[in-house]
Amino acid sequence: MADYNEESNRLTIKIVYYGPALSGKTTNIMRLHDLIAPQLKGEIMTLETQNDRTLFFDLLPLAFTASTGLLIKFKLFTVPGQVAHDGTRKAVLSRADGVVFVADSQRSQSVNNGESFDNLVENVHRVGLDLDRLPLVVQFNKRDQTNILSEEEISQRWSAASWPIVFASALHGDGVVDTFSQLLAQVHRNLDTEFHLVSKHGIEQRSFVESACATIG
Amino acid sequence: MELTPRQFDRELTLKELLAGLPAGKLQQILEAMFGCGFRLTTAGGQVVAGSAEPGTATTHSPIRYELESVGNLETASADPEKIKAAVLLIELLLHSAARYYMASALHIEAIDADYEALQKKHAALVISETRYRELAASLELRVQQQVAVIEAAQRQLYQTEKMVSVGQLAAGVAHEINNPVGFIKSNLNTAKKYVQQFAQLAVLVNSSPDSAIAKGWRQADLDFVIQDFSDLLGESIAGTERVARIVADLKDFSNIDHTEIQVVNINDNIRSVCNMATHELSKTADLLFDLGELPKQKCHPGRINQALLNVLLNAAQAMPERGQIRIRSEYRDGLTSVQISDNGHGMAESTLARVFDPFFTTREVGKGTGLGLTVARDIVTAHDGDILIQSEPGKGTTVTIHLPVG
Repeated sequence: MADYNEESNRLTIKIVYYGPALSGKTTNIMRLHDLIAPQLKGEIMTLETQNDRTLFFDLLPLAFTASTGLLIKFKLFTVPGQVAHDGTRKAVLSRADGVVFVADSQRSQSVNNGESFDNLVENVHRVGLDLDRLPLVVQFNKRDQTNILSEEEISQRWSAASWPIVFASALHGDGVVDTFSQLLAQVHRNLDTEFHLVSKHGIEQRSFVESACATIG
Repeated sequence: MELTPRQFDRELTLKELLAGLPAGKLQQILEAMFGCGFRLTTAGGQVVAGSAEPGTATTHSPIRYELESVGNLETASADPEKIKAAVLLIELLLHSAARYYMASALHIEAIDADYEALQKKHAALVISETRYRELAASLELRVQQQVAVIEAAQRQLYQTEKMVSVGQLAAGVAHEINNPVGFIKSNLNTAKKYVQQFAQLAVLVNSSPDSAIAKGWRQADLDFVIQDFSDLLGESIAGTERVARIVADLKDFSNIDHTEIQVVNINDNIRSVCNMATHELSKTADLLFDLGELPKQKCHPGRINQALLNVLLNAAQAMPERGQIRIRSEYRDGLTSVQISDNGHGMAESTLARVFDPFFTTREVGKGTGLGLTVARDIVTAHDGDILIQSEPGKGTTVTIHLPVG
């Protein structure tokens, strides 16, 4: 849950990148770091890795200050995708304000995507979040690979789901910012009800998303 | 170390970030760099490192951590390069401390969650284990109960089978005897009437004492013959009646395979059994009856007979020399009690302790099955009653059977 600190006039928002192992969660936030230029952008903090695979999490802090002086701070986390690290995954997912599910578009990964999504649904319940209210964007990554599911197939398979689907190639930076901004639009809706972003701080959805996702150049 | 897990992703303060560093060393390094005093304060102005005195501090440089200013470096040093380097050094230390803090806090959170999950799983397993244990325990108990029931049924079946075959034989014999006994008795009665008619002749013959027929009469002592003839016939009639009664008792007793419940007076059962077994019993003992007033009660008469017979035969066989068997019955407080006491050789305590054990016998091989009292107890228990044995070596044994009425 977003944390509002009155003393330092700061609202901290937690975004979690979830998904199967090697689907490109870390790549997503690395590209995001390269592509966007909000008012404040920190360095990516990478905790222990093993052969380039996340063991704990990666963290990218971003922030901008609203006209009222409220600091809106985003903390983007990635979870370890490997099945074995479920305890860590669950702890990282705790208190999330929004989730990006990064799926692997390759046909061979369909089962892993499904299992990981089931794991997300299960963990969402276990950490006390409400899947119906949780902002969520499903990103189908690795569109640059061969032998991938077509966009039609994916749209058809996910037609019953209410979440927006974004096609991306994180390695090349395609769809990364789009994914993030689509998620932030949903996050704004939730936070506005709780913290009155519009009425109290004059932060409309559009400016909220644009301030966070301002691209370089 | 923290015992309660703290959220790994919460905002950290300067104080928390520096908590893991040996404060003296940082002070040493910075003082060496600046060549003068310094102090590190939080955003709220609290001093966390360096000299507590404000001294002649001139520059205030913000220390940033994760996009935000978390404190200030105050120093009298006039060298901006050194101050910049010092700020970078402190920020580097904070970054490294944060990484360590987050990793360990996350680790604790994950371990804690795993532990909680394991505890839940463990609790569920304990519950299911308890359930299976209870099931296993009660299963054993139920098997034992079932085995006991089967064993009791087997013993009864064994004795019943024996009694049934004896009973069937007896019933057959009784039926065969009944017919001849019937016509013998009828004939004897007719014969008695004929003799009486003969006796009337005596008056006529004796009216002329000198006649040849009267002489012959006296010579043959026919007065005595006729009288004795009548007595003999009377005794024979009594004898056939006794035979008929024994046969009737035999038929009664042989009803062993009649399993249905009947309403009877237990005294009748006692008499029937004693009549039946007179031969066996009177060989070694005299029977003394002391039968009280009993109400009619529901029972399996055949079974009760069997139990009584088993106890009576035991008593008769316990006589080293001719003795007495006293049979008492009484009714009190809804309970019929039958007490069978003998003045035989009695039993030692060790024997007494085992009398109800199946196949326990003190008799020679082939003389006793060791089932008599076991079956008697099974039968009495099946009637919701109980059976008690008191015995004293050399003095005798008393068996008391209690049977609830209604």
